[in-house]
Amino acid sequence: MNSGEGIFEVTPLVAAAHELKAPLALMRQLALRLGDETISTAERQRLLQQTVLTSERALRLTSDLTKAARLDSALFQLEPINPDQLCRDVVGELQPLFKAYGRSVAVKGRRHPLLLVANRDLLRRILLGFSDNALYYSQPGTAVHLQIQAFKKSGVVRVGVRDFGPALSSDMWRTLQNKLNSAPQAIHARPESSGLGLFIASQFADAMNGRIGAVRHKDGATFYVELQASRQLSFL
Amino acid sequence: MTRVLLVEDDTWLAEVEMSIISDAGYEVLIAPHAPAAIELVDSFEPEVIVLDVLLAGSTAFALLNELQSYSDTGLIPVVLCTNIADQFDAKKLKEYGVMRVVDKTTMYPEDLIAAIAGVL
Repeated sequence: MNSGEGIFEVTPLVAAAHELKAPLALMRQLALRLGDETISTAERQRLLQQTVLTSERALRLTSDLTKAARLDSALFQLEPINPDQLCRDVVGELQPLFKAYGRSVAVKGRRHPLLLVANRDLLRRILLGFSDNALYYSQPGTAVHLQIQAFKKSGVVRVGVRDFGPALSSDMWRTLQNKLNSAPQAIHARPESSGLGLFIASQFADAMNGRIGAVRHKDGATFYVELQASRQLSFL
Repeated sequence: MTRVLLVEDDTWLAEVEMSIISDAGYEVLIAPHAPAAIELVDSFEPEVIVLDVLLAGSTAFALLNELQSYSDTGLIPVVLCTNIADQFDAKKLKEYGVMRVVDKTTMYPEDLIAAIAGVL
C-alpha cells in the first residue's frame, strides 16, 4: 500500500508547508461554513472566533520560521528574566485559544523562582509553541500547566509545559526523542506533525545556550526548556 | 438514517464536517483518534467511515489494517478525507476499503457529501 512513506525528502521548507496546510484548510472550511445563510448568529460568532484564532496560530508559526531563519545573523540580547512573569504573560496570551477549545492553561509553581538568563522573545516563542502542542494533545476539559523548576546545583532553571492526555506509546516516545534534536522528519514519522515546532524550539534554545527536552508521564507529557539561572544575586 | 463515522482529530474541523454531513441527512458520530474509532465501529455500526489520515497517535493506516482484519468491518466503505490527498493513488487504496479520496485543502461541502453518497 502506498501510505505516503518515503515519497520526498522533508526539508524545513516542506515541513513548513505541511504544518501550514492544516490551519489553512481549516480556515477555508470555516469560511465556507460562514457562507451558509442558515446558520444562527451565535454559530456565526463562534465560527468567526475560530477563524481568527486559527489564523493566529498559523501566523505564529510563520513568525517563528522567519525568526529561526535569521538566528545566525541576528544578535539576541540575553538578560535576567523572571520566568514566572513570562509564563503568566504566555498564559494570558493563550487563554482565549484554550477557552475556545474547552481547555484551560495556568501557571503552577513558585511565584518567586530563580531568575534565568534568556532572550525574552525567544523564550516566549518556545513556550507558546510547547503550549500549542499541549493544546493539541490534551483531553477536552483538562488544564495545561506551565511549570518552573530550579536546579540550584547545576545552576539551571527548567520551564516546562505539562499536558494531560493519552500516554505516549514507546514507539512514539522514541520518535519524539529523535526529533528533539534533529531536523524536521518525514511526515509519517509522527503522523500529525513534522517535528518542525520542536526543531524551531531547539534552535531558539541553542541561541540562548539552553536545551529542550521532554518527560513522559502516565497521563501525558511535559516539554521543557532548560536555561542558565541568573547569577546576579550571587554578586550581591 | 445512514450512519457515518467521522474520524477527525481536529476538533473544529470535525465540527464543521459533522454539520455538513448531518445537514445532508446522515447520522454522524465523531471519533478523534483510531482507538475511539474502533470502539464506535462496534457500537455505532457505521455504514460509511470518513477518515482523516494524519491523526494523533496511530495513523489512518493502522485503523484501515484493523478494519481489514475482520470480514464484516472490512466491508465498510471508507472515504479518505485528507490534507495529503496528492500523495495517494486512489486505485491502490481500494483493497483497504478506501473507495474515495477527498482533498481537504480544496473540497467544498458538496464534494464530501457526493463522496459519501458515491460509496453507499
